[in-house]
Amino acid sequence: MATDGAIREQALDWAVRAGDPAFADWEAFMLWLEADPAHARAYEDVTAAVAQAAHVIAVAGPANDDAAPEHRPARRRWLGGAIAASLALVGALSLFQGQSRALYTVHTAPGETRTIALDPGTRVDIAGGTSLVLDHQDARFARLDEGQALFTVRHDASHPFEVAVGDQKLVDVGTVFDVRHDAGGALSVAVAEGAVQFDPGGADVRVSPGEVLRRAAGTSALTVSKVATAQVGEWREGRLTFETASLADVAAQLRRVTGIAYAAAPGSAGAVSGSILVAPLRKDPTAIGPLLGLSVHAQGQRWVIGAP
Amino acid sequence: MRFLRARGAGDAAEDLVQEVWLKIRARAPGPIAAPLSYLFRTADLLMIDRFRSVKQAGARDRDWTHANAGDPPGVSAEPSAERRVGAAQEAASVLALLDGLGPRTAAIFRRHRIDGAPQKSVAAELGLSLSTVESELRVAYRALADWKERET
Repeated sequence: MATDGAIREQALDWAVRAGDPAFADWEAFMLWLEADPAHARAYEDVTAAVAQAAHVIAVAGPANDDAAPEHRPARRRWLGGAIAASLALVGALSLFQGQSRALYTVHTAPGETRTIALDPGTRVDIAGGTSLVLDHQDARFARLDEGQALFTVRHDASHPFEVAVGDQKLVDVGTVFDVRHDAGGALSVAVAEGAVQFDPGGADVRVSPGEVLRRAAGTSALTVSKVATAQVGEWREGRLTFETASLADVAAQLRRVTGIAYAAAPGSAGAVSGSILVAPLRKDPTAIGPLLGLSVHAQGQRWVIGAP
Repeated sequence: MRFLRARGAGDAAEDLVQEVWLKIRARAPGPIAAPLSYLFRTADLLMIDRFRSVKQAGARDRDWTHANAGDPPGVSAEPSAERRVGAAQEAASVLALLDGLGPRTAAIFRRHRIDGAPQKSVAAELGLSLSTVESELRVAYRALADWKERET
């Protein structure tokens, strides 16, 4: 019979090992759990603490303008790290000359993601295949030329955060939201927290948490539908969810997130629904077939997806 | 089943098997490289969730069957303003604690547990060996378990 301390140490070991996706030794883990009920309890205590810690960080990471001031230093240190990390990552920065703006563009290659901290409490997670224009002199402005980005914005009523998408403007009301802008001109704005005012000078649509606003390519009609807030920005965890999406849309999103050249079969209609993890596709691009019930075949350098 | 019992599910193991299947179906993962491993992982994560929600409800008795029954996805994830302030403070103290372990430990924890990167890729990213990553995670887990014990 091991002492409590020794059991604790073993539980820590198992928590580290079994917490990794690569862990495979479940048989040995089970034998350890069965050996003594205290083992399961110790493992539970460790994993609950870790899961809770990860949860509170993940939840509080997004816009929290109401954090007590004495906690700011810790947050800033983290953001400092994030800034340093993103600076190290930033490769191609091109400088444009605006009237009063000092614009620069951040490009990501398909399959690449990047996080940029704009000010303490505000950051942008940039998906692959994206061009995002930022302003050296104004940390409250961004323009999404193409691609997808998740904005986590500290609210400041006197200086609202503004996102330009194509010919449209979004103004945040203190918020976490995901913006997508495809090459064809289609755009979507999904809100996880707070709210976003879409096109305040024109249509002036308010998008609330759990809502997604869409505009199809080549139209000006806007639709607002529901979205699970957990889905907003899920591409950062390598997950994509489609709800009656067109094949072209599916192919475009897969390209962006995986960097694999997917294309929609020409002339194919069909609406795709499903939620997938993209990691397996990097090993085997054809795995998308059974995942979403599609046909997949190689054509030159591309993977063409179509109706089954 | 045997795994869930070993994990302490007791009589609820049968119900939980059902839930594991539902979870797997909802995620629509399609073909999986190691199905058995995937099954175990799903069961393990389900138990962790369960344990946490039961604990948060303040009920240490193992009434697994009706913890978080039927929360529509996304709804339970929306904390009230009050809970959010509490959570922000809690997060700040967790961050401070991790920070106190050193930037490397904190960064590894974050990459692995928040971003969900496998330990192997974290090791590769930071130019460390897998065993270094494991031992750093161990340090973080120990500190968090201690923190949790102090808190309750």
